[in-house]
Amino acid sequence: MKGLLVALPLATLLAAPLRAQEGFDHLKHQRVFPSCIACHQGAENPDAEMWPRAESCAACHDGSIQPRVSWQPPAAPHPSNLKFVHDLVPLMTRRTATGTTTLSCRDCHIAAGGSWMAVRRAAPEGCVACHAPGLSHLTAPDSLCSTCHLPLVRATTLQRTDIAGFPAPPSHGQPGFTTREGHGALARGQSCAVCHARDFCMTCHVDAPEQAAIQALEPDPRARAIVVRLQPPATHRDPTFLQRHGAAVRADARRCSTCHTQESCLACHAPSQRVATALPAAAPARGTGAQPSRRPPDSHRDNFANRHRSLAATAPATCAGCHVRTDCFNCHRPNAAAGPGYHPADFLTRHPAAAYSREMRCSDCHNVGSFCAKCHAAAGLVSSGTLGAGYHDGSRFFSVGHGQAARQSLETCIGCHVERDCLTCHSAVGGRRFNPHGPGFDAARMRRKNPEMCTACHGAAIPGT
Amino acid sequence: MSSPRRAAALALWAATLTGSAAAQGYRLRLDTRVQSVAYRGVRLDSIPVGDTVSTPGRGPTSPDGFAVRCLAGAPYCTFFRPGAAQRGAPLTTTADLTLWNLGMRGLSVHAAGRLGVDLGTADVWPGTDPAVQLFEGYAEYAMPRATARLGRQIVASRLGTMGFDGAGLVLREARRGLELQGFLGWGLARGTALPVTSPALNPLDDFQPRQRQLAAGLGAGWSWRLADVRVDYLREVDPRSDYFVSERVGLEAAVRPVPHVRLAGGADYDLAAGWWGSAEASLAYATPRWSATLGARRYRPHFDLWTIWGAFSPVAYRAVNGAVTFAASPQLDVRGRYERYRYDNAEAATPLFDAQGDGWRWEVGTTIRPLPGWILDGGYRREFGPGAAAAGVAGTMTYAPSRRLSVTALGSTVDRPLEFRYNDAIVRAYGLDAQLEPSPRLRVSLGGTYYQEIHRRPDAGAFDWNQFRVSARVVLLFGTGADEGGLPPAIRLLPSGRAAR
Repeated sequence: MKGLLVALPLATLLAAPLRAQEGFDHLKHQRVFPSCIACHQGAENPDAEMWPRAESCAACHDGSIQPRVSWQPPAAPHPSNLKFVHDLVPLMTRRTATGTTTLSCRDCHIAAGGSWMAVRRAAPEGCVACHAPGLSHLTAPDSLCSTCHLPLVRATTLQRTDIAGFPAPPSHGQPGFTTREGHGALARGQSCAVCHARDFCMTCHVDAPEQAAIQALEPDPRARAIVVRLQPPATHRDPTFLQRHGAAVRADARRCSTCHTQESCLACHAPSQRVATALPAAAPARGTGAQPSRRPPDSHRDNFANRHRSLAATAPATCAGCHVRTDCFNCHRPNAAAGPGYHPADFLTRHPAAAYSREMRCSDCHNVGSFCAKCHAAAGLVSSGTLGAGYHDGSRFFSVGHGQAARQSLETCIGCHVERDCLTCHSAVGGRRFNPHGPGFDAARMRRKNPEMCTACHGAAIPGT
Repeated sequence: MSSPRRAAALALWAATLTGSAAAQGYRLRLDTRVQSVAYRGVRLDSIPVGDTVSTPGRGPTSPDGFAVRCLAGAPYCTFFRPGAAQRGAPLTTTADLTLWNLGMRGLSVHAAGRLGVDLGTADVWPGTDPAVQLFEGYAEYAMPRATARLGRQIVASRLGTMGFDGAGLVLREARRGLELQGFLGWGLARGTALPVTSPALNPLDDFQPRQRQLAAGLGAGWSWRLADVRVDYLREVDPRSDYFVSERVGLEAAVRPVPHVRLAGGADYDLAAGWWGSAEASLAYATPRWSATLGARRYRPHFDLWTIWGAFSPVAYRAVNGAVTFAASPQLDVRGRYERYRYDNAEAATPLFDAQGDGWRWEVGTTIRPLPGWILDGGYRREFGPGAAAAGVAGTMTYAPSRRLSVTALGSTVDRPLEFRYNDAIVRAYGLDAQLEPSPRLRVSLGGTYYQEIHRRPDAGAFDWNQFRVSARVVLLFGTGADEGGLPPAIRLLPSGRAAR
């Protein structure tokens, strides 16, 4: 019966989209076959084969009447997620000007006005013409999907490549579709299940266990064949987002928990793990979600290492949001065996220029005695015996005019000189009795705080006592 | 206790802790490094005045061409010959240990120490004496509103990093952003984990205290969404005489009035000497593309009162500086910075000699990422000021196909004249550095750099000193399951040093 040739009205709806006829040219045989059922008995009789036997071709293609052919019927039905079976065709009717009629093979497999045997795979529009008049296949209401389609998890014949080729409905490209108000509002019922399974949702949703709509879907790893990338929402592109995201978390952590687990927070906030407690911990059942990477904030550029002191001292808790103490001591605790790192490779030669004017506060990390003086002594850069050996030979008068240089960079002087070198001249009880006290010297205060220092030069006769 | 005994005790202690840690949580990080180093200094020599050679137009020299200095009336003239090559190979192992789950919620134990030896022919490189150093070793009890520590610990503030053996307490009211801090203990010397009485701090046989100082500090901070303020007070006292070793107070503040803008500054006052110490202020603007900073700072060294150096009236310098970074594209960053500074009047100038009293430094550079995994960085730097000047270029080329592997080639050249000595040095460096992290528990790095060092003088005192330095590093992580399994990624990925970032 022709009606049975409504066969495959939806068979190519998703899983087998309009594949080309494989091997058999129907149109070429239009004068040979007056009926579809002659070959496709299965379309009418469920117990019969859908395809003719290969031997039946030999009735003509015997090598004498017609050349032999090697056509073979398909070994298995086309992969499909359709509920349709040809048994249903007799039940399918439609209204025409002449009344209600049942469908025939050509209603689905031959285009309107097409010639006999100019067959094609059934297009979904044929289904939609009756099930959702006036709409196209992918714009049909979600509630209609399950009319024709099986849930993905039950469409076991579909391979990953089939699933990856599913066409996306136009709604999925609408702005805001990825938001809670977008797909979140639509994710009700089983419409999503036609193309998706729980694994698909878990690509982004780490709150899958808490989302009823996701839990309503069954798991199926094939669902990840549809590749999606988690895109940060518009709020995250705000340049100030990094600075202000803490308030957003405190205001409503549930919004963050869609894509983020505690590990997202801990990627940066490692030392202060309490900030992450509002979010669930990562687990296999939660999927992948957002994977933020740790990067320094914008403020850390511009030679920040050399000017972080104020900020670090003022608000150490801010630093502790991302840093642990070990970070600090990577620089603030020099290591004799460390190669170039904080200081560049040529710093040993260059360090006088940085040290004289204390480009950085050297003594925060280096002890003058155990570091500077020890090395200088080994290099011969140390006073021994009477001053005047002439190391400072840049000027003949350095010795008599060294006061300015000394007051400017006393820390540098004591990298090579000890107190007795200076007391040779700058002592009130011996030597040349040159007064070393300069601008800002508060004798009374220092004497009050520690008179022992005064005795180094003045002996027991400290002035003012 | 001698160093070997202390080393054995530390090892036994660590082993005991590790062995008993099975039921607790622990994390142990062993960082072993070694490098070969060499340098060459000078050696003082002398000759009788009668042996010197006088050349018209030049000063007296030794017969072999060294410029000599002859003091009037002295029988000998002195000069400096190139010194012997100093070769060292310091090897250090730094251990960081943390124990928790000790039966009381909030209780943990932290220890950090280092074992260092010099494998070279002489102990020429600072940092391996004494062989065993304990940086930190304390028990901590932490609650939401308070943290208490007992043992050797370090407190960082604008007054510096202060180490001490004692007790510390931090109280906080998180809702109001308040924090109070106090500590008391026996202090350590600045910039090291050794007490001021350690012989290692006195290689030149200088004055040295006979007892460790008592250190006490107080701090208070307030943090708000738009601002942070903190004040710190530090007092160190010589327990033998009850006299002050130092007494300082520091104030810090940072304000964030609008997004992207931060104003920060601070100052410290030396209560013992009666003068202002260092201070700084900066206005920073930072966006993903632009970053700029304008700042001013003042630097004045601080000397403890057990030395006489404070009585020599060290003067401060004042500087203004600026820096800018522009990310022209994700593949290109350019940067530049400038600073100019001038010392306060030292009131010590003489008609015969006038030292440089001001200076400047500037730098420009760029970072280029032409392809994924490739980073090119280069810069030119120039500085001039009291004591020395320098100018040079430096560049690196890094290939990092993944977080686990990076290879960097570097090259640089710098020209450095001195103000107070004829010794213009040029050093060129060419190196290669590789870092590999085959697993989260293991990181290995290996580097080698060739140095071509040239010292220029108009006499025989000039010498060249070329050398090849090799450095290696192995970092091992040990820990309980909680450590390795649940450890946040950020901790596992913490960079170990500036070079690794």
